[in-house]
Amino acid sequence: MRRAAWRFRATMVVLAVLLVVAVVLGVGLGAVGIAPGTVLSLFAWKLHLIARPDVPKSVEIIVFQLRLPRVLLAGVVGMGLAVAGLLFQGLFRNPMADPAVIGVSSGAALGAIVVILAGGAAILGGLGVAGAAFAGALVVAFVVYRLARIGPAVHVVTLLLAGIAVAAVMSGVMSVVMSFSGEQIRNIYFWILGGLSSRGWAALQVVTPIVFVGTAAAGFLVNDLNLLALGEERAAQLGVEVERTKRRTLALGSLLAAAAVSVSGVIGFVGLMTPHLLRLVIGADHRRLLPACVLAGPTILILADLASRTLIAPEELPLGAVTAVLGGPFFLYLLRRQRGARGGVLV
Amino acid sequence: MTTAADAGLIVDRVVAGYGGRDVLRGVSVAVTPGEIVGLVGPNGSGKTTLVRVASRALRPREGGVRLQGEDPYGLPARRAARLVAVVPQDLAPVFSFTALEVVLMGRSPHRSAWGGAAAEDWSSARAAMEATGVHHLADRPMEELSGGERRRVVLAQALAQQAPVLVLDEPTTHLDVRHVLDLLAIVRRLTADESRAVLGVFHDLNLAAATCDRIVALHEGRVVAEGGPGEVVTRELLREVYGVEADVHPNAVTGRPVVALHPPLVGTVRAGPARAHVVGGAGRGAPCMRFLADMGFEVTAGVLHASDTDEEVASRRNLLRVSVPPFSDIDDRSAEECLALMRSADVVVVADAPFGPGNVANLRLAVEAARSGVRVVLVEGIPMAERDFTGGEASRLWSELRSSGEIVGSPDELVSLVG
Repeated sequence: MRRAAWRFRATMVVLAVLLVVAVVLGVGLGAVGIAPGTVLSLFAWKLHLIARPDVPKSVEIIVFQLRLPRVLLAGVVGMGLAVAGLLFQGLFRNPMADPAVIGVSSGAALGAIVVILAGGAAILGGLGVAGAAFAGALVVAFVVYRLARIGPAVHVVTLLLAGIAVAAVMSGVMSVVMSFSGEQIRNIYFWILGGLSSRGWAALQVVTPIVFVGTAAAGFLVNDLNLLALGEERAAQLGVEVERTKRRTLALGSLLAAAAVSVSGVIGFVGLMTPHLLRLVIGADHRRLLPACVLAGPTILILADLASRTLIAPEELPLGAVTAVLGGPFFLYLLRRQRGARGGVLV
Repeated sequence: MTTAADAGLIVDRVVAGYGGRDVLRGVSVAVTPGEIVGLVGPNGSGKTTLVRVASRALRPREGGVRLQGEDPYGLPARRAARLVAVVPQDLAPVFSFTALEVVLMGRSPHRSAWGGAAAEDWSSARAAMEATGVHHLADRPMEELSGGERRRVVLAQALAQQAPVLVLDEPTTHLDVRHVLDLLAIVRRLTADESRAVLGVFHDLNLAAATCDRIVALHEGRVVAEGGPGEVVTRELLREVYGVEADVHPNAVTGRPVVALHPPLVGTVRAGPARAHVVGGAGRGAPCMRFLADMGFEVTAGVLHASDTDEEVASRRNLLRVSVPPFSDIDDRSAEECLALMRSADVVVVADAPFGPGNVANLRLAVEAARSGVRVVLVEGIPMAERDFTGGEASRLWSELRSSGEIVGSPDELVSLVG
């Protein structure tokens, strides 16, 4: 027991260090390279720790107007996706669940697209898009959940098939919508491929409170998710209000996924990979996985975003494509691993 | 406040089922603290449904459940989980939890959603793991444990719940003998030491009889027998409820009933049973009686001496028999009755029993039966010379029987009778 607790603390320290490194790299690397020391001293200055360092005004503008909001947005989106993935995996009792895989992200994207095309993007200062994304995510989550459930269990095959089928329907609907979209088409491509470019501080202001409040609320569910892993009947015997927990988890996972998608489009595999990787290191306890996801999710997406804008600079790769290229093989590895299951996950 | 009368588990005239179908049709069971009540009955009799009703998993359509005087269906799941703990058949978490993590989950009814494990939770978990002998497995992932170890972890999880009522749902299925006994010993000790009220579903009647203070037999959703093991586990119950013939007798040491099942020999049961009469003594006739009865013969026996093993087997099998008191000679009246049985039998089987002055008359009766044309088969596993305690008379009668009868080497060879 002490060994597991020690391992958890050590992992959290490592993850925190990695997150700081990712932020500094994310802010420092780009068309104009900025040394890590400079980045850190600028941060320290903004936090009123030191006097203004001797750096050109242009560097200050690049750091605080261009790169930092993007890095922070990547962090918040990564956190939302990772926590949503954790919630969905716990709910479905299946490590294959992820907001993108089960189609929730597509639902959110479709909701957002419809609102944008209807000219409602400005409603409630951007909250209209987030609201529509949330509604779309919730509908898809509910439909997939009902489709994948056979008797008391949610099976991996049905889950994947239901998710694929629903995602296919979503993309069909999106194609139809796009054919009526005229000059908005580039705008819509962005939603489907995912990206964080030119969002600025405004997007951050919308999504950050949702993700942080949602993550805090997830703290109330982690214990019940542990018990759900024993099966619904056993969870009920141990005092879990099973149906209520499932509804809340579904709603919260959809909220987090929708919040992320509403500013970044569809970014797959972060929600799938993050909890799973952490499970291999610190075990399956959701009480530990949640804080670990809060640190690891942002790190992964900040680094993926860094790759998307530096690999073929000055052009930018779609962020969703980068996570898919990294995540796809990982997903296949998981599928293969399941047959001789050992380690973090058993199905 | 819980009063003494309310303590434990009370299931009161419960009607419950799935969909429109009632599985339980008015079942009442009460378990008081410090008592183990076994639930037996064939598949589909409603045992598991009763477990689910008692553990707040299936709301009864009629009737009520009381745990320590409270209605679990009127309580939140967490509070009910503090009153009743269930030991499921097995537990296979979908994620890789360690044994300790699984046992600590048993503490969750006592914890808040955000709170970590308090000192009390750790000590309860540790105590439960020590009680079931799995403390050394604390850091091992569940999927690496053997079936027996995993089952004891599951028991520890339920014990850590520290509920006054414990419900065991066939806790011993798929366990080997040693783990079965270990697990039941743990449950018995906890019942006595911590005064928990325990309701257990048992498939194995012998385990139920050996473990429980009382047994409740269910059949088609109703209680058909209830009482001490000796009152419930009987031949009649096995015949009526399970539809099997079995031998039930008290264990010599514990006095609790022991069930021995006799699977019928397929293909040898004949239409219209033939009659076989067995001459035995000192237990040598018992295998013949069993074998012939299993083959479908209507078996009679005699003359037997009371309290001889053969006599006990004949009486347990409820065979028509002629008996005399222990160590007495065979009186004329008994001899006459026995000869009548032999003459009307299709075959007389004479076992390789020891013959002395007290029972040599049996051989004379067999010779007489053989003379009147009855088929006689001799079992000759032991040579006559070694079991003649009459000074030659038995050997003389035996050779006379040999001259007209058939000889087999062991009771199993009696199968030739139906060939």
